[in-house]
Amino acid sequence: MKVKAKEKDGIVKVKVLAKHQNIGPEEGEKKKKEANFITSVVAKVGDAVVYDMSGSGFMSKNPLYKFKFKGKKGDELEVTWTDLKGDTKTKKAKIK
Amino acid sequence: MDRRKFLGLGLAALALAPVTQLSAMDFRKEKPDAWKAEKPAEAIKALYGDIKPEEKSVSIKAPKLAENGGKIPVVVKSDIEAKSVALFQDANPRAAVAAWTVPAGGIVDYAITMKMKGSGKITAIVEGTDGKFYSKVLAIEVSKGGCGG
Repeated sequence: MKVKAKEKDGIVKVKVLAKHQNIGPEEGEKKKKEANFITSVVAKVGDAVVYDMSGSGFMSKNPLYKFKFKGKKGDELEVTWTDLKGDTKTKKAKIK
Repeated sequence: MDRRKFLGLGLAALALAPVTQLSAMDFRKEKPDAWKAEKPAEAIKALYGDIKPEEKSVSIKAPKLAENGGKIPVVVKSDIEAKSVALFQDANPRAAVAAWTVPAGGIVDYAITMKMKGSGKITAIVEGTDGKFYSKVLAIEVSKGGCGG
């Protein structure tokens, strides 16, 4: 997972590139692979949640998520995704 | 997710939780039917109930003609103070694509990359903190389907 966060005029722009196959149930059947996809992406600064998404199997492979929030330089952003099987991955990035 | 387990502890814990956490909701756990619905209208009903969203104040940015249905960049934007945002389409076997809980004071400007099996309509619903619903529908063409097809 790659996370980039950049602040300008009090607004932090974030790009999250997750590495995941994101196979929906129908697609899994066709490709004879087990369906598994990112079901949730949550971003936090400290204890405050700044982004909270629930997703389906219709996200693309290696999905790119972009969002904005009010924040400041130097803070640490923590992004975590969870998939259908319960695997999670967390990545921290300093807001530049 | 620790925060969600925490919310599950009960009302007492909920009452003690800071305001920003009160709005948090796991859409997949709490609204399972919304993710099974085949048509956007059914999914919207399962997620929000019988609502009549106004078609304004929400914008969707997506390519008019997506060459690759396997990776379509879609941006949902709104200036409304929102509680939640949900995204649907009508080309795939099920309608729901994603749903967001908007933190207090959050900015609704969400970009994702999604898959679509063919041409269809993308629907975005924004639930305002005023209790009203706003929507936008955008038709896009997909030249090559992206659901393994």
